[in-house]
Amino acid sequence: MNTASIYAKPVAPRIVLRPALATVLLHGLLLYVLTANLAGPERESVRVTPVPKVINARLVDISEFRPKPKPKPQAKPKPKATAKPAPKKSSPKPVAKAAPKPAPSTAKAKPAPKAAPAPKVEAAPEPRITREELAAIARAELARTVAEEAAAEVEATATAEEMAASYASLIQQTVINYWSRPPSARNGMEALLAIQLIPTGEVVSVSVLKSSGNTAFDRSAINAVEKAGSFPELKNLPSREFEKTFRRFRLLFRPEDLRY
Amino acid sequence: MEEQLSLLDLVFNASFTVQLVMGLLLLASMLSWYMIVQRFIYMRNARDEMYVFEERFWSGIDLSQLYREGNEKSADGHAILGMESIFRAGFKEFSRLAKQSGMDSEAVLEGSRRAMRVAMMREEERLERHLAFLASVGSTSPYIGLFGTVWGIMHSFRGLANATQATLATVAPGISEALVATAMGLFAAIPAVLAYNRFAAKVEVFSNRYDTFVDEFSGILNRQVYALRSRERGEG
Repeated sequence: MNTASIYAKPVAPRIVLRPALATVLLHGLLLYVLTANLAGPERESVRVTPVPKVINARLVDISEFRPKPKPKPQAKPKPKATAKPAPKKSSPKPVAKAAPKPAPSTAKAKPAPKAAPAPKVEAAPEPRITREELAAIARAELARTVAEEAAAEVEATATAEEMAASYASLIQQTVINYWSRPPSARNGMEALLAIQLIPTGEVVSVSVLKSSGNTAFDRSAINAVEKAGSFPELKNLPSREFEKTFRRFRLLFRPEDLRY
Repeated sequence: MEEQLSLLDLVFNASFTVQLVMGLLLLASMLSWYMIVQRFIYMRNARDEMYVFEERFWSGIDLSQLYREGNEKSADGHAILGMESIFRAGFKEFSRLAKQSGMDSEAVLEGSRRAMRVAMMREEERLERHLAFLASVGSTSPYIGLFGTVWGIMHSFRGLANATQATLATVAPGISEALVATAMGLFAAIPAVLAYNRFAAKVEVFSNRYDTFVDEFSGILNRQVYALRSRERGEG
């Protein structure tokens, strides 16, 4: 007599495969849907390629401006002061020169008088200020031209991508203006930065995605973005465009044709 | 990295505790879904077999023949579940007791009834397996998720303490990542609760039908045992 209970052991057709498959499928599908919705298309990265900065500094004889006898002893060190940053940084002046590519005529006219009067008034105490100032001036100008372009484009039924592109070039130029080349930078170095912005245009975080292999170069690139600090012009961008392009974007930092 | 706040980013950049909570919830969700599908298939099979057996049982077939069919079926390696196993338990006990001549007919009936009760309990237990797990996933996983969220928010606010300039942007990613834990908790809990309620109702239906069957079958056995005993008395 078979008295062994059939309940002693699990029932023969154990239901394992189908539930397991269904579970894995369901979770995989869910994960896919969520990530696909949130990820969006691959971002274009903004390329920053600082172009060769030609230095055409002109030594200005102070006596031209100031015929007074007093500043004469100072005249010697002053030109030195203005000239010095040129070879050392190779970019203080060109900043203004290289930047306004969209509107070269106005830009060229502006920086020149500005750079020259600066030493006249008070170049001696802090010649370094001029550099920062120049960057700021160039930046303001750039913003204006971009804004004008944007306005013009809006009239010409500009697409959102075009606007985004013009803002990308604005960011690019601004960052270039704030970049100071470390001595160890070489041609062909590339640093890929990940930048996070908020809709007011402020930079929230900068980090290196792909290092160039040269820490000084990476740091200089990060510094340039941090110095730029914010891109208030982005406020004009429709928020949808902003989310799509600038909330997180990559910046490829690749100087070309450095002289040495 | 460049996707704007992708979910995966949030999960992978979360702090350890939050990640632990998320892992736990994912496990709970997967297990509960496994059990949901498994219970679903099991109950569907049990229902189908119950219908088939009931039809066969009331078709006027000889009960000992039905029992023999069941024997063949189990010899083939086919498991006997649900109503049929109740029938087999009752019938086996009945035939065993009825063979003993000194047995009182009341005692025979009582014995087979008891055997059927036991089989029914076992069947219900089988139907209810894993339901307790679904119930506890349904009731606790929102709390686990909430714990992860609270912990993550605590974390992100503590990070804010060091910042001189507090903007929304410095805490927002932390809070967003923390909220993922609550979302996962709810994701695990809602199907589990729904499934638990549904399956509990189904188990109730099954047990009612089994109950009815036990009563009906005892009626049949009652008739048989009295017929048997009166025949025995006539002979003896």
